[in-house]
Amino acid sequence: MADEELKQKVIDEMTKKSGSKTKFYFNDLAKIMDMKPRPAKKIITEMVTEEKLTFWSSGSTTMYSLPGVGKQTASEGESKED
Amino acid sequence: MAKFETPLLDQLETGPWPSFVSDLKRQAEHRAANQDKIEYQIPVDCVEDILGVVELSFKDKEVHWKHGGIVGVFGYGGGVIGRYCDQPEMFPGVAHFHTMRVNQPNGKYYTSDYLRQLCDLWDFRGSGVMNMHGSTGDIIFIGTRTEQLEEIFYEMTHKYDQDLGGSGSNLRTPSCCLGESRCEWSCYNTQEICYQLTHEYQDELHRPAFPYKFKFKFDGCPNGCVAAIARADMSFVGTWRDDIRIDQEAVQAYIGGEFPPNAGAHSGRDWGPFDIHKEVIDLCPTQCMWMDGKQLKIDDKECTRCMHCINVMPRALRPGKDTGCSILVGAKAPILDGAQMSSMLVPFIKAEEPYDDIKEVIENIWDWWMEEGKNRERLGELIKRQGFQRLLHMTGLKAIAQHVQEPRHNPYIFWYEDEVPGGFDRDVTEFRKHHKR
Amino acid sequence: MAFISSGYNPDKPMEDRITDIGNRYYGDFLPPVIKNNFGKWQWHEILEPGVLMHKAESGDEVYTVRVGGVRLMSVEHVRELCEIADTHCDGYVRFTTRNNIEFMVDSKDKVEPLKQDLSSRKHNEGSFKFPIGGTGAGVTNIIHTQGWIHCHTPATDASGTVKVVLDDLFDEFQKMRLPAQLRISMACCLNMCGAVHCSDIAILGYHRKPPMIDDEFLDNLCEIPLAIAACPTAAIRPKKKEITSEKDGSKKEVKSVEIKNERCMFCGNCYTMCPSLPLADAEGDGIVLMAGGKVSNRISAPKFSKVVVAFIPNETPRWPTLAKDVRKIVEAYSKDARKYERLGDWAERIGWEKFFEKCDLEFTHHLIDDFRDPAYYTWRQNTNFKFTDPYEYSAIKAE
Ligand code: SF4
Ligand code: SF4
Ligand code: SF4
Ligand code: SF4
Repeated sequence: MADEELKQKVIDEMTKKSGSKTKFYFNDLAKIMDMKPRPAKKIITEMVTEEKLTFWSSGSTTMYSLPGVGKQTASEGESKED
Repeated sequence: MAKFETPLLDQLETGPWPSFVSDLKRQAEHRAANQDKIEYQIPVDCVEDILGVVELSFKDKEVHWKHGGIVGVFGYGGGVIGRYCDQPEMFPGVAHFHTMRVNQPNGKYYTSDYLRQLCDLWDFRGSGVMNMHGSTGDIIFIGTRTEQLEEIFYEMTHKYDQDLGGSGSNLRTPSCCLGESRCEWSCYNTQEICYQLTHEYQDELHRPAFPYKFKFKFDGCPNGCVAAIARADMSFVGTWRDDIRIDQEAVQAYIGGEFPPNAGAHSGRDWGPFDIHKEVIDLCPTQCMWMDGKQLKIDDKECTRCMHCINVMPRALRPGKDTGCSILVGAKAPILDGAQMSSMLVPFIKAEEPYDDIKEVIENIWDWWMEEGKNRERLGELIKRQGFQRLLHMTGLKAIAQHVQEPRHNPYIFWYEDEVPGGFDRDVTEFRKHHKR
Repeated sequence: MAFISSGYNPDKPMEDRITDIGNRYYGDFLPPVIKNNFGKWQWHEILEPGVLMHKAESGDEVYTVRVGGVRLMSVEHVRELCEIADTHCDGYVRFTTRNNIEFMVDSKDKVEPLKQDLSSRKHNEGSFKFPIGGTGAGVTNIIHTQGWIHCHTPATDASGTVKVVLDDLFDEFQKMRLPAQLRISMACCLNMCGAVHCSDIAILGYHRKPPMIDDEFLDNLCEIPLAIAACPTAAIRPKKKEITSEKDGSKKEVKSVEIKNERCMFCGNCYTMCPSLPLADAEGDGIVLMAGGKVSNRISAPKFSKVVVAFIPNETPRWPTLAKDVRKIVEAYSKDARKYERLGDWAERIGWEKFFEKCDLEFTHHLIDDFRDPAYYTWRQNTNFKFTDPYEYSAIKAE
């Protein structure tokens, strides 16, 4: 599959699940793409630079989500204009 | 005039140990006075608010911070920890108060010029409160607002040639003991390998793709000053494989009481005259030392390089010259299945530039862990789950007796099919010809 | 407070961006005497507490004065130590792994003025800014974590507990009269972001109550699957609940979670993921004291610390019970251990039952391991115990 298709597949899959789950581990994304971690990382990194994915971190672990999706920003008391 | 009364914290200003409360108050006053007319980029009174919120915690005996998911600057998945106060109206100066991790120079030597640059930047764009250093080794900047994160990063990279450290599911900022820079026992250049691997693996450090955190630590010798064996997923501990270098004259000087034992570490108490038998030879864990007349002898093949004799008589004994390091893997803090120390993987490897062999071991381990590690599973836990044999297989290493403290206690060996002549597929009809049902 | 741009353009984050440059090269920060003798040091000696001399093959000497640093320091404090470095050390300074600060000079005559300068500097209320010590067979600086200053899951404060313990053991920091070095570490929750599990003495913050559940707000603020997945012991389950609204008194059904209290190990991971599951509690939280660990391979193998006091309450601001219990251990060790014997080696030699007797610490059922597989290996499978009270059947029989 071409890189662009893979990226779309990741976005589609994440959007589909966004009702219940908005944050994904790296390995979840690699699984969606059906790729080994190293090549998967290249594509995921591109998606971050293209602002198609953002990070969320617990401090000890990091997760990926679609930009602006999820409840955490609200609970953190930090909205965009703030 | 202080913004908040801090009667409880004030009680931590007395006593001889440096008081962090006095220091914070001084910083608060420094910002309030603002003699250098700095255009502070986050609230001037944020340090007053730190004192206020900590006083409140001392009163409530409960913490007043919340976690935030913010991770870093654009494109990085680590280096920043999000922090918000749960009493933002009371303490607006610290309502948003994120931490930044700044990758320390290896061995933690600094010039005052460089430290001042960091101080100026952090005073201007943050709280001016920091950790020198955090547990992993980074310089920690405590407390700034979200909009300052990119600004600080931009200034740090453009003006000071300085990058952030790691957090989250990343390679964490590697750290090392001061090694050859000032320690006669260091068996390799800990700072150089730490520096080179930090730079080699920048992508792993900034862009999380691991199941969980991953740490490298480099100790120059088995004394373990950075606790690599207890704290790192991959622990590099210096060692040697030739003979301990002995200066027999100096041995006599210790025996004669001219040199203080253990480099003077015990001089605060009268332990009586130095007794080489009681203090060195009898304490050698392998009992491989003896006196032959006036000569100290060591059976180096039996020595396990514990460092005791060398620590006691540093002017007489030195590690050998054929040096390198051992690689142990899998240490972690207790959560969840209990603490683990690192287990021996490579007893000896040369630690010389360009470190190709070491990188090969590292990357073999990463390939395995990234693929088969569960989310939030440390390397040590994966090794436990899949077995040490699997680790050997994935790193392409043969099993040797040095890998274990003792052989297994049970005979429940999971034989591989190809290890058993004829394999597992058998003909039951043939079997029944000789064995009745 | 006008915003001043660094040059960064938020609309074009990738413009002019510099990334992946790592840390600064350590070689640029080495004092000349260090640089000239790199890898060529021959031996060293601790001339007096806090003062080391390293001798190089070239004959060069470097004198190091070590002072206790507080991990938490302000830029004003750092600027002050820079000033000292400029005055005495040609502008060089170094920090140790254990948060000490080291000032180095290249000849002996520079040591005395440096020491005097360092000892003369005090904070307003009289504590030392740069206490000299932390070498040899004594107590060195306590490494620690963030505590109430900055983290979100601490069960106690870090800087405060460290301050009171070091005030109390200050003599041991400045004198080298213990049997061996004594490493104390502090972490303010069981996640131990600073590893303390192999320390001679470890001070560990510990929660004792499962999280509260803020049912009405939980679903608005948290992603329930994330909170569930965060729990290492699978104690959390999703649950629909009937609640009375705190806002308007109405009855309604909300999506929330339930926690199996008996499975909770009080780690706070769920709170990290979900602010509606706070667990801090004034009475619940406090300190576990551990002892007998080490990381060095000297004489005996590295070993884990063991729990010796199950709980010490948070007696702010000066934690008297904590300071007293630590002192009891240090004193018993100091009196009884042999030269070069680390605390854990001493406890193993005399037997842990003797350790509790000599340290005057109570042994309770909390100190018997019951957590998963490794527990069995910590029970006694031999008859080689020593008699310390109580031990006889009639004396240990429950009433
Ligand atoms: S670990 Fe060994 S080489 Fe490194 S500083 Fe400590 S004693 Fe020296
Ligand atoms: S290093 Fe340790 S094992 Fe080797 S001779 Fe010295 S005391 Fe014995
Ligand atoms: S030990 Fe726990 S509470 Fe303390 S700073 Fe680390 S993660 Fe936070
Ligand atoms: S505190 Fe830890 S163990 Fe308890 S419910 Fe939360 S995540 Fe689970």
